[in-house]
Amino acid sequence: MENANLILCAVTAAALDICALVLIFAAYREKSTAKKRWAKISSNMELVEPGVTYPLGCDEVLIGRHASADIRIPDLSVSRYHAMMTVSDGVWTIKDMGSKSGVYVNGALVKEARLRENDIINLGNRRLIFRRRREKNEK
Amino acid sequence: MKNNPFAYVLSGLFVLLAHLAMLANIMYNGNYAQLSDVWTLAGTVLGLDLAWFIIMPFFRQHSHTVDFILILILNMSLIFQSCFGEVHLALKHMITCIAALAASRIGFFLCRDHNWIAKQKKFVWIGIGVVMIIILLFTGSRSMWINFGSFTIQPSELLKPLLVMACATSVAEQQKKHKLLWFNVVWENLILLGITAAICLLQWWCRDLGSIPTFAAIYAAGFLMRICYPKAKFSKKTLIGAGIAVLAIAGIGIKLAPAYVRDRLFVDIWSDKTGNGYQQSQALIAIADGGWFGKGPGKGFLHNVFAYESDIVFSTISEEWGLLFALMVIFIILLMLAIPLINPARSYYHGTLAAGVCAAFTVQMALNIFGSCNMIPFTGVTIPFISMGGTSMVTSGLMAGMLIASQSPEFGKLPTKKAPAKKKKPASRPAVRKGAQA
Repeated sequence: MENANLILCAVTAAALDICALVLIFAAYREKSTAKKRWAKISSNMELVEPGVTYPLGCDEVLIGRHASADIRIPDLSVSRYHAMMTVSDGVWTIKDMGSKSGVYVNGALVKEARLRENDIINLGNRRLIFRRRREKNEK
Repeated sequence: MKNNPFAYVLSGLFVLLAHLAMLANIMYNGNYAQLSDVWTLAGTVLGLDLAWFIIMPFFRQHSHTVDFILILILNMSLIFQSCFGEVHLALKHMITCIAALAASRIGFFLCRDHNWIAKQKKFVWIGIGVVMIIILLFTGSRSMWINFGSFTIQPSELLKPLLVMACATSVAEQQKKHKLLWFNVVWENLILLGITAAICLLQWWCRDLGSIPTFAAIYAAGFLMRICYPKAKFSKKTLIGAGIAVLAIAGIGIKLAPAYVRDRLFVDIWSDKTGNGYQQSQALIAIADGGWFGKGPGKGFLHNVFAYESDIVFSTISEEWGLLFALMVIFIILLMLAIPLINPARSYYHGTLAAGVCAAFTVQMALNIFGSCNMIPFTGVTIPFISMGGTSMVTSGLMAGMLIASQSPEFGKLPTKKAPAKKKKPASRPAVRKGAQA
């Protein structure tokens, strides 16, 4: 009888363990859904430099030379806190954070500008393209 | 639900199975006077599970994992509380569990849209002020409760979710720096620091010293998130200074602590088993008695000790259900707090919200469990969702709602169609490059 009680206790603990594992599995399933949803919220955009792609994974993305920047550009012509990109209602906006060399969108110096697909952003000597995200095998 | 029907159904099914296994354990291994008591408990638990499973799809959410963990923990808590001493339905705890579920919905609706809550920020500050005034006027200097006949509330608990919200809504203010003497300061950071200090002093005045570390942890989580915020420009010097300040305040606090607190810091529970060390010594004996698999639901002794259902609930569960099961309960709560690591927040506001809730819950659990096990002084802080206590349950539910909000955030209207691509004439491209070079 004592053994039966022990087995029952162990089975209960095991059921809880399995439930926890299933919930972790469900969280990972939902993570992929959340990624797709974020792609929709952010209009599936990304920033691209020759050879480098920067995902826009947050509603506020800081671009700069500083180590704490979300998109770090190690170039002395880029300020430590150069520009901030924000998204609202699926529309991305870029804002100058008081940089020395300024923010240029399609060649025009801007303090704040709404971004459109294939806009070219110049920060110091660096040139970034704001474009729709492409799969790895796409060129 | 509509995004992940398979995960939704599977989660619901296994939560139900986990509760069924616990109820089967009570039926064959528990201490009950009548079998109908077990059936009543089983009906309530499974009914709550099914109701939650049916209601949840009506809420527009993209993630339901935290909801399932919440109902799993709350119903486990209801089972534990109903079994202490003898199996019976703990009606009061059941009502507070339902209130916690309702509070989680409120927390979710309040916190999911950071643009909306940023506009309502002043109400959060006003809320903190009002609760602090209520504590000052109605609880008295040696109490933390307000009595309404047989019904009592602990207003200081309400400050926890409000402080988390204040930290989260102020994180976006980091770029609004102002010159004050030789320093660049952010007004909201100073106000937040002042409010946290005022709350801690108020808790000191009410003799609720156990909750001070929880408020400090919420502020610390918010402080760390502010450091991470773009252009916050917190230096290493600031961090080192903050660390030294915390150590100095803790040292002064211990020095000035009331005599009973200092006694608890240095008490040897085994030489004072009937005095200051009574609860802790009984709690440790109960954990040892229960072993890995426990004595059986309702077969423990610890329910005869004061605060068995709140302050030393970890030991009561260990005695009746076993240490293995008690550790599993803690693991499940930690799993709830770890979900934002699997699916990270997409904004600093939601990140701060999740960090604040995680800090508060983790510190509360640590204080309760380590206190019960005599590893730190006994504080009398509750384990979120597990300990009995109406205000604590409701605020824990509210904070769980904040976690849910960080998992299913709102970012305004979704774009219904593709963003219009700017058509450029081929001739205009060289002009852009020319501008860029200039």
